[in-house]
Amino acid sequence: MPHYLKVELLRMARNKRYVIFVVAFPVAFYLLYSNLWGSQVDSTTGVRASVILMVSMGAYGALAASMMSTAVPWSQERHSGWLRQLQITPLPRWSIIVVKLVASLLLVLPALLLVGLAAVLTQHVSLTAGEWVALILTMWAGTIPFAALGLTIGSLLPPDTAQPVAMIGMFGLALLGGLWFPVEIMPSAMRSIAQVLPSYDYANVGWRIVAGQAPRAGEVAGLLAWTAGLGALALIAYRRATVRD
Amino acid sequence: MNAIAFTAVSKSYGGVLAVDGLDLEVPAGSTVALLGPNGAGKSTSINMLLGLLKPTSGDIRVFGATPHEAVARGEVGAMLQEGTLIPELTVAETVDFIRRLYPEPLPLAEILRLADLTDLAGRRADRLSGGQTQRVRFALAIAGAPRLLLLDEPTAAMDVESRRAFWDNMRSYASQGRTILFATHYLEEADENSDRVVVVARGRVVADGTAAEIKASVAGHAVSFRLGGQSMAGLDALPGATGVEVQGGRVTLRTSDPDATIEALYRKTTLDVRDLQVHGADLEDAFIALTKEI
Repeated sequence: MPHYLKVELLRMARNKRYVIFVVAFPVAFYLLYSNLWGSQVDSTTGVRASVILMVSMGAYGALAASMMSTAVPWSQERHSGWLRQLQITPLPRWSIIVVKLVASLLLVLPALLLVGLAAVLTQHVSLTAGEWVALILTMWAGTIPFAALGLTIGSLLPPDTAQPVAMIGMFGLALLGGLWFPVEIMPSAMRSIAQVLPSYDYANVGWRIVAGQAPRAGEVAGLLAWTAGLGALALIAYRRATVRD
Repeated sequence: MNAIAFTAVSKSYGGVLAVDGLDLEVPAGSTVALLGPNGAGKSTSINMLLGLLKPTSGDIRVFGATPHEAVARGEVGAMLQEGTLIPELTVAETVDFIRRLYPEPLPLAEILRLADLTDLAGRRADRLSGGQTQRVRFALAIAGAPRLLLLDEPTAAMDVESRRAFWDNMRSYASQGRTILFATHYLEEADENSDRVVVVARGRVVADGTAAEIKASVAGHAVSFRLGGQSMAGLDALPGATGVEVQGGRVTLRTSDPDATIEALYRKTTLDVRDLQVHGADLEDAFIALTKEI
C-alpha cells in the first residue's frame, strides 16, 4: 500500500495538466490579483484583500487538485483495463479507493502551501501560529468532499464524459462558491445556489479563520454534511465500478 | 494436483450462452492451448478463472481453491486481451509496482530479462510501441511468479518476429514447472507451443488431446477426383470412407484409410477416375471440421 501510494503521487507529479492547472494556476493568479487589489481592505472585518485572496486561491487550488487527481485518472484506469490488471493481483478490493483518497489529500498540499508561501513572501501576510495551523488543517481536510465527488465521477462516467463533467464541476464549484468573485456581487438567484454548495462553506471557513473569527456552525455543518453525502456516494459508485459479475 | 478444474460450468449473458457446460481439468505443470474461433467462450472462461466473472452455474477450482482465493494468494497471473499501462510510469516502475503486490515475486531484473525488457526499463509507458507494450503486459503477468499463468490471445497485436520471441519467453517461464493456459485462434501457435490442445466451440470442449491426436480424430485424409456426370452412389460405402462431398463436378471423399479407399475405388467401382488427389489432413482441416456450425 505505501508503495502504491508512492506510485500514484509519482504519476500525478509527472502529469503536466495537474502541475499547470493545480499548482501553477492558483499561485500565478494569486500573484496577479494580489498585485492588483491586494492592499484593499474589507470594510466589515478589516482584513486585507491579499489575505482573503490567499484563502480563495488556496481553496481553488486545493479543490482543483482533489478533483483533477481523482475523476479523470480513475475513469481512464477503469476503461483502459488497468483496473482489471489490479483486480487480478492480490491487492485487496478496497485499497484502490483508499489509496486514491490519501493520494488526493497529499496532492492538494502543494497548491495550499505554495499559495500560502507566495502570500507570505510577496504580500507579507502574517497570521498567528494558531491561525496558520487551523487554516491549513481545515482547508486540507475540507477537500475530502471534492475528492469524493471526483471519485464518484470517475466511477460512474467514461473518460470522455468524466473529463468535461469534472472540469465543469470544478470551475462551477469554484466560481459559484465565491472563490473567484465575492458571492455578494452575484445576482440573488445565483447567490442562493452558491450558499448551499460545499465550496462556499469550504472557503467561508477559511475566510473566518483569517479574520480571527470562529467558523459558524452552519458552515461547518454544511461541509460535514457534504462530506458524508459525497463520501457515501463515492463508496456506492466505487462498489458498482469494481463489481465482478 | 489439478491447477484448473471446471465442472459443468455455464455462463450466460442476458440469455446468450457463452460457456455451455464446460468440463476441463488441467494438471499442474502442463501447457495447454485453448483453441477456438472468436466467440467460442475462451475469454469468458479465462475471466471466470480469474474471478472477474462469476459462472452462472457449475464450479471452478484453481489449485483446489476458488478463483478469488487463488488470485488473493498470488497464485495466478494473467495477460488479458486488452489493457493499457499508466502513461506516466516507466517500464521498471510499472513492473516493480505490480510485483510488490505479490507475496513471493520474481526479482525485478529477472522479470525484465524474461520479457526482453532490460533495455527498455527506463522508458515511459506512453513512449512504447504496441509490441513493447505487450511485452510489458507479459512481464506484469509473470511478475508475481504465479504458479498458473493465463494468456488470452497474447500475440494478437504482434508481428511475426515478436510472436516468435514471445513464445520463446513463454516457454522459458513454463520450463520452471509452471502451469500455462493460453487462448488462441491460431492453429500453429496451439500446435507449436502446447503439450495439449483443447478445442472449444460454442462454449463447449469439442476435442481434447495432443495436436497429433486431434488431427487423427477427424477423418485423417481426403481423396478427391473429377466425377463429371457420373453417379456418386455407393462412394460412402467404400472402405475407410467417412464422408462424401461434391463440389463443381469434383468429389471429395473423407477417409481414415486412403490406401484402402483408393484401391476399392479402382477395383470395386466402374467409375472413370480422373485427376486423383490425396490430401493429408492438417490441423487447419481438423479445426474447421471440429468447430463448424452444426
